Amino acid sequence: MGILENLIKKVSGGGKKIVLPESADNRILQAAVLLKEKNIAEPVLVGVPEEIEKTLTNSELGCAGIEIIDINDPSLLDEFAKLYQQQRPNVSEKIAHRLVRRPLIFAGMMVASGKVDAMVAGAANTTADVIQAAALTIGYQKNISSSSSFFIMEMPDGKIFFYADCAVNIQPTSEVLADIAIATATSYRKLMNQEPLVAFLSFSSKGSASHPDVDKVVNAVEIAKQKDPYTAYDGEFQADTALSEAVAKKKLKDPSRVAGRANVLIFPDLDAGNIAYKITQYLAGARAYGPILQGFAKPVSDLSRGAKPEDIVAVCAITCLLS
Amino acid sequence: MERAEIEKKVKEVVSRILGVDESIITPESRFVEDLGAESVQSLELVAAFEEAFDIEMEEQAALEVKTVGKAVDFISKYLK
Repeated sequence: MGILENLIKKVSGGGKKIVLPESADNRILQAAVLLKEKNIAEPVLVGVPEEIEKTLTNSELGCAGIEIIDINDPSLLDEFAKLYQQQRPNVSEKIAHRLVRRPLIFAGMMVASGKVDAMVAGAANTTADVIQAAALTIGYQKNISSSSSFFIMEMPDGKIFFYADCAVNIQPTSEVLADIAIATATSYRKLMNQEPLVAFLSFSSKGSASHPDVDKVVNAVEIAKQKDPYTAYDGEFQADTALSEAVAKKKLKDPSRVAGRANVLIFPDLDAGNIAYKITQYLAGARAYGPILQGFAKPVSDLSRGAKPEDIVAVCAITCLLS
Repeated sequence: MERAEIEKKVKEVVSRILGVDESIITPESRFVEDLGAESVQSLELVAAFEEAFDIEMEEQAALEVKTVGKAVDFISKYLK
């Protein structure tokens, strides 16, 4: 059984509620029906109930008992506007009222208020829109002030690695790089139930080269260790030092729990991360699942605009497991 | 509404949403670089301008506005 099947099996039957605000998109409706029918999670659609029901009936999907929340429900709008204003006091309740009428913000408030466990959007909105809504409504996880993304990479031999950040932060500072590592370690722990061994990658292994780009990574390792002392972070490492114990023994003077055994790879920038995941996919024959958003206080993820219903189901399953 | 009046109101809104002193806000001030706005706050600024001027703005175009002076220009179009 592959990683995706394992993750879907793990979340199934748990009754996790996931809100899908892009209910005008037929792929979202198809995914909601699949989630419900296969008992993977409890989908909650947000929109105008008559329109959603009409689309479900016309497309012969059937409602299948899927919960539909009216985006114009006055009591919910009041509740969300009050909560939004409490969370972000610079915004008046009247302004908050305008904001919570937006589907992504409304759905974000459903997560923030605990009515659902997670949110998935992005079939009809940009990644930036999804991140903005999540940052404004849910906020960031403890110790973190930026969002990022990770890929689950499944190698042909079944080994699993998490790669980050391959999709969101173009040129992360040391602080953001540390945030990426902390968030990915958290995601790894939740999905794999194993200890994350987090390697910060570079073209240098523990001082073998000198350059401001190396300093950036070294600083990031220190920040991550300070903020989250109970997780194994180490670096800067070249990829071979991170992945091969034989190379690690040759290249490093001091012992490291992470070197040679890393299961989470943190790339220094988006060039490196994005190129690495695609090369691993195409040259090593790995399967790539993601990008999954992370770093928020509660799980929210994005979809590629070209996502098929089964891709949406997979992202929903993984996102629910992060709650 | 006169331009000076619109500018005064824009400054009040920006000051409240971004938590900055009104005295440092000029027409040239950039929301992110000069006034310390997080990029995610752009949506709150748009909603706050709509509420303050009782208008509905074209969202994508509104989110492209980067300075206080350009915001005054943009809002003025809706008040003619």
